[in-house]
Amino acid sequence: MRRWLLPAILLLELMLFTIIGGPAFHSFSEFVGYFRNYFGDILAQSAPVLLLGLGMTLILMTAGIDLSVGSMVALIACVMASFPGRYDFWWTAVPAGLALALGLGLANGILVALLDIPPIIATLGTMILYRGLCYVTMGDLEKAPFMDVPGYEWLGQFSGAAIMVILAFAGAGQFFHRSRWRREILMLGGNRIAARYAGIPVIRRICQVYMAMGFFAFLAALCFTARNSSVSASSLSGLELHVIVAVVLGGTRVQGGAGSLMGTFFGVLILAVLDEGLRGAAAWGDQHLPFKISHLQYLLLGALLIAGVWLNTKSWGHGSCTPNRKQGDQ
Amino acid sequence: MIQGRISRFLVQRLIILLAGNFVLLAVIGFLIKDGGSFAQVLARAGPNVAPTVLAALGLTGIIFTGAIDLSIASIIVVAGTVFGILVSHGANPSICYVACFLTAWCLALLNGCLIGVLKIPSIIITLAGLAFYRGLALILADLAVPGFSGNISVQDEAYHAPGKLYSGRILLAVLVVAGLWEAFAKSPRRWLALGNSEEACRLAGLHTGKILRNAFFVGGIFLGLAALIFVTRVQSVEPARMALGFELQVIGAVVLGGTNIFGGEGSYAGSVLGAFFLYFLLELLIYAGVSPYFQEVVTGAMIIGVIGLDCGLHRQRKMLEELT
Repeated sequence: MRRWLLPAILLLELMLFTIIGGPAFHSFSEFVGYFRNYFGDILAQSAPVLLLGLGMTLILMTAGIDLSVGSMVALIACVMASFPGRYDFWWTAVPAGLALALGLGLANGILVALLDIPPIIATLGTMILYRGLCYVTMGDLEKAPFMDVPGYEWLGQFSGAAIMVILAFAGAGQFFHRSRWRREILMLGGNRIAARYAGIPVIRRICQVYMAMGFFAFLAALCFTARNSSVSASSLSGLELHVIVAVVLGGTRVQGGAGSLMGTFFGVLILAVLDEGLRGAAAWGDQHLPFKISHLQYLLLGALLIAGVWLNTKSWGHGSCTPNRKQGDQ
Repeated sequence: MIQGRISRFLVQRLIILLAGNFVLLAVIGFLIKDGGSFAQVLARAGPNVAPTVLAALGLTGIIFTGAIDLSIASIIVVAGTVFGILVSHGANPSICYVACFLTAWCLALLNGCLIGVLKIPSIIITLAGLAFYRGLALILADLAVPGFSGNISVQDEAYHAPGKLYSGRILLAVLVVAGLWEAFAKSPRRWLALGNSEEACRLAGLHTGKILRNAFFVGGIFLGLAALIFVTRVQSVEPARMALGFELQVIGAVVLGGTNIFGGEGSYAGSVLGAFFLYFLLELLIYAGVSPYFQEVVTGAMIIGVIGLDCGLHRQRKMLEELT
């Protein structure tokens, strides 16, 4: 049921917003051209959320949650921004960012796995901590060395962002789909004690998952900085909420033990189209509605989230909504 | 009476927090330069920390049951917007206060009912509420305030009584009532039971849905008071930015106070001490002349440090519990 539901919502949104805010089409090629640009924009714009959604799906599968993603991306971007924007940026700042990202992820993993802190509290703490570190590194400044780096801009354009997203999804999907690793983390999320008795190295797996999140946060930081070209200590606050909503909308259970990457992909696209569509419909809204249409975004976000999860629980009995159940264990 | 009601582990945490608070106060007293007095610090603490403490009390009861409310900041924003709308239409101050309180109370209750009806985890419902209520506040302001452009100004001093004049007294009264309520009432025990094991509660013949609603009902009262004080302390209500991140501050205070985030264990006193601890910590940083940029680092490190230490120390106990 889930399989057609998400694309259906997406299609419905697209139709609605094209009717309200889109241009009038005179020919088929015009129509195709419009949507090619449209999706290029959407994909480039939501690349960070897509990448983070990928990591968040993994974490939710282990029955964890990572509230610190927004701060993590911001901190990585802030640290990279404090390097001078020259050609050597590629082999100084970028590896430094990567190392930092893996370290931050590992720190989360250690807190959750080794010290046994509930993930929501551990990452709440690190969310505040990492954001504080952003302020320590940046102060009130806003830095923008990224556009001076040769070749960096390319990452933010459609091609760069799309390649990154597709690589991440395809790579993760291909590696992930049949791997033992995936089944182990699903089992770990479903029942941690059983997983321990089954001989799964629980602590190591959890650390790996959080480090993977760190890696995706690094990629997201690259996409974000390449597109926005500047970063300040307060940028990207509230991103974690966006990511979690998208992932949950895509059918991943917050209690762990189930989730799908494709669902996350659609969840993120639905939110991005909603965002973009409401922006495009501003003129229509000013004429026809007594309030600003962009404010509707929050309402729809909340309603979509509840509707998505509710439908998810409804269709739970059929076993069709969880890929892991459907395929069974080979 | 009290001794049987909280575990040894919680008593430990309370003692640590109490000692921590005194240490912080002592250091603040030591650092105060001439021109400021220690009495002033204490007198200012009550009103400043009142919204956090009240919201933390409300959330504590909810977390007892194993539920959580992430939407408290957004609920406060809706209450504030309703308050602002009434003020901009020139309503009587007392009507504004009552409306503000009732809005927050009703929304908290709505959360509780939705969790019961839809059978969705509370974290999802209130995550949705976090976005939904903020949007609701913005749209309400758009609809009801002519020429709304982002903020509703409340300049008239007549509208600031609860926040500026009586907040300390309200806080004191609520603390006394909450303390007695926790020590002698049945409801908190039921919430804790629900948080410990929903299955056992049902088998014991308790109506779990009703207990959950009850927790949100009482939590809503505290939250309503918190909203009232929060809203009447500021000069303008700005729905898009007001109280951003407030829920994290409150959750931080609650978990610092030893309440188990998954329910079944905790105390009101711990949450109050936790809120005061975080407040005095920031105050200390200001008096010590530490750059304001380090505030968040220290807050985050403190939350992780206290809870990490605690979880690490009790790890063995938890592992043993898993085996049985």
